[in-house]
Amino acid sequence: MSKEKIQICPEFYDIMPPEYRDLVEQATFGKEDRGWKDIGQSKELIEEHSLCAGCPESMAFRYILASLPNPEDTVMVGSTGCTSLVFPHVAVHNIHSLFGNQNAVASGLKRALSVRFPGKVKDVVVLAGDGATVDIGLDMTLQSWFRQEKFTTICFDNELYANTGGQESGLMQKGFVAKMAPVGKQFEKVSLPEIARESGCCYVVHCTVSKPNLVEKVVRNAVLLAREVGPTYLQLYTPCILEIGKDSMEGLQEMRDAERPGERFRYKEYITDTAKQFLAGIDAQKKEKVAVLV
Amino acid sequence: MEKYRVLPGPEAFFTPSAARMGIVLPEPGYAHIYGDIVTDEEAMEFAARKFLEARNPTIHPGPLVLWNWNEKAAKKAKAIKILADVIPARLIPMADYRPKYPKINPDVEINPNHPNLTIWHNKEDVCMFVGVHCHQANLSLKIIRGGTSCFTIAMCAQAGHEDANLTFRDATAEKILRLAGWVSKLKGVSLNVPPDEGQPSNVRYNSENLFAKLADGGG
Amino acid sequence: MANELSETQRSLIGTKNKKGQTYTDPNALFFDAPRTTAFYTGSEVIKEAIRRASVDVMVAYPITPQSEAAALIGELYAEGYVADYMRGESEFAVMSQCAGAAFGGARVFTTTAGPGTMRAFENFPMWVGSRLPIEMIVTCRGINSPLSIQPDTLEIYFLLGTGMLVWHAETAQEFFDWILKGYIVAEQPDVHLPIAVCCDGFFVTHTKDTVLLTPSDLCLPPYDPYRSPVPCMDMEVPPVRMMRDPFVMKSNYISYMTHASWQEETRAACERSRKHTIPMLGGLIDDEGDDAEILLVASGTAVSQSREAIRLLEDEGIRVGLVKIKSLRPFPFHELREATKHAKYIFVPEFNVIGWLATELKAALPDNHRIIDGPHVAGGMTMPAEVIVETIQKTLGIGAMSLAGRGS
Repeated sequence: MSKEKIQICPEFYDIMPPEYRDLVEQATFGKEDRGWKDIGQSKELIEEHSLCAGCPESMAFRYILASLPNPEDTVMVGSTGCTSLVFPHVAVHNIHSLFGNQNAVASGLKRALSVRFPGKVKDVVVLAGDGATVDIGLDMTLQSWFRQEKFTTICFDNELYANTGGQESGLMQKGFVAKMAPVGKQFEKVSLPEIARESGCCYVVHCTVSKPNLVEKVVRNAVLLAREVGPTYLQLYTPCILEIGKDSMEGLQEMRDAERPGERFRYKEYITDTAKQFLAGIDAQKKEKVAVLV
Repeated sequence: MEKYRVLPGPEAFFTPSAARMGIVLPEPGYAHIYGDIVTDEEAMEFAARKFLEARNPTIHPGPLVLWNWNEKAAKKAKAIKILADVIPARLIPMADYRPKYPKINPDVEINPNHPNLTIWHNKEDVCMFVGVHCHQANLSLKIIRGGTSCFTIAMCAQAGHEDANLTFRDATAEKILRLAGWVSKLKGVSLNVPPDEGQPSNVRYNSENLFAKLADGGG
Repeated sequence: MANELSETQRSLIGTKNKKGQTYTDPNALFFDAPRTTAFYTGSEVIKEAIRRASVDVMVAYPITPQSEAAALIGELYAEGYVADYMRGESEFAVMSQCAGAAFGGARVFTTTAGPGTMRAFENFPMWVGSRLPIEMIVTCRGINSPLSIQPDTLEIYFLLGTGMLVWHAETAQEFFDWILKGYIVAEQPDVHLPIAVCCDGFFVTHTKDTVLLTPSDLCLPPYDPYRSPVPCMDMEVPPVRMMRDPFVMKSNYISYMTHASWQEETRAACERSRKHTIPMLGGLIDDEGDDAEILLVASGTAVSQSREAIRLLEDEGIRVGLVKIKSLRPFPFHELREATKHAKYIFVPEFNVIGWLATELKAALPDNHRIIDGPHVAGGMTMPAEVIVETIQKTLGIGAMSLAGRGS
């Protein structure tokens, strides 16, 4: 949908709640270089949320929505979890799906949008927790990658099922004690980024959300690559401060500790040659534009 | 068993849908009042009267007319404003469908998940929904009938709403203007209808020539 | 008026699609268009129906006895009659893919049977609550355990509570017509629900029958996703914050009431479909009861066998009437009460062990002691007309030769 369509009828402008007037005047629909820096300057696409104070997932969600290249033509698919509490407040169409079938729903959705809008940008972005991605949804997640479905999968990895009270998930570390793992998890954290690479994703990034500019870069890359090249996967460490016994202020430090060299969430990126060339091409185009302006 | 009637509430802890109680939607050219099929014109007059007798008449425009996303929406918005002005009715939008968090400001908006809060707060006794997706409209109408005594009117662009106390169907800008015409006729005032494209200035209509104009396909 | 089209759809009538088919007014297509005779299996008939249905997306998965039909739709896709098609990884995934496509505004088709239906099941009430007008055909077969690929209608019992529209076809001809008509009813804005069009597997899918087909160069108008009671999830409508399948709950009365009202609305939508279904199917039932004192009430293949039984009983001088149920959801309460008013004996033959149809009738009809549930067969057993005859004769105390005793 073009930005021009996001206008309020003049007869009703005065009676529209201020947040919708802001959405028209101040939101970054259609802005080419929108990014995390718009947070605080422009209207965010999440109106509000009821997640815990200091929740890294909530931060990540805001960065992601600020970084989508074309939110006015993006549809998201979520899954049951803490993000389900945020999605009703998001000004971008989103589908809840059931639990674990988010990549299947996204496959059908992307195909329908491609049939109905051939040649037009319609991005589909999946956002789900680790339980939904690696346990109950592993089959459908992998199969969407095998089939080369053209959308981005983002996993909010908090290494357990947070919304239901902190149960063990496949992405939990071995030995960690949690509900349903009373004597510690018996097997290793699933190497999902590597599995994603082998399953056909052309771009895989594994990192924390401690640096918003990094999140912005990888989200942009992931969405642009999914348009043209192939499925992309981002696994973002968004610790559940509640379940790991931290305070609201401590989430950021937890992520910084986890991404140090040698630690389990150090930055990892897998990218195919085709994807690399594609991103290089985009960079070159950008430089050209800047050169022309200068 | 007596035939079920779709009367203003408060009806029940959990309102049954009128469809399950046997109420059937009207055919094109018809409307319903309390679940009884009537002609469009009958319903127009009834609705106009209801608006004029109300202490707090309110119109609730929804996203399909609040947003200027196509020409039809724009035309309907104009017609709704004319209707609201002639009654006069308050305009309180249904701007979005999510449950409002942490709580709704019932002074400025209505929401399909808890419409009763707005109805109660503003003491609405007659209200009309227009430009709301049918599913959300039906949700609202059931909840309002369940917990409030407000008389609900649905100005529906599709097949109508049997959960409203009065429903129109196939609503267009012309139909909304026609209702405005009825209000102005019963009130004995003229309507200020802005010019069509290319016309020089505002034209004042009385109900007779407005109806004629609408019959011509103009408006 | 029942079964109207939107303005967008009407504007396309008479124009051609990229396969050179002409978009045709559905009533003209169903009731006026000339028909040609063909001798096809049920699977081929399903293909022919979809050829004319302007389907956008079909997702397929192998399971007997619908694999043939599902693969034939693939051929239609390769020929350009279906816009997108793929093989999913399980029925649960397939039905989720269908949901995604329908959210995106596509007209969606899928097929399944027996264990596949059970595997997919969580999706069905989700489709209903999200108002997704997906058409699914179910070629009824046995449900594990034990495993049976043969015809058995047990799975319909599970579908009855989902909130979907459920129609049960008897013949391949009905299947052809109802697949097309199903879209027209399901996509009405006051209905807008998923529909399960059922037939008995193998009996319908794998036998050849003479069918009358509409011309292959006439097709249904496409689905109009903007004539829907809920926003289409394609970001072509204003950014109102909403979800088609939300949590509405916070921990308070009104949230729970909203949830309940949402579900009540979907049940209302099923009721509203009556007025659209009746002109399409020629009634929710076929009352061939003739006010007889003895009635057979059945759906699907049990109807065919009942016809044979009626003929045999007629030879014995016993008059039996037939009431054929076509729509199971919405359930034809009023029509059935009328049709069974004068009956003293109501026999309900079924191809399943639990007798779900008899249970529905016992709940719906007055003086339900009149209802005799049976005969039943299951797991692939055929239901010879003689078995129905025997049941009736035994119940009425009329001399009957025991079939079980044969062979001694």
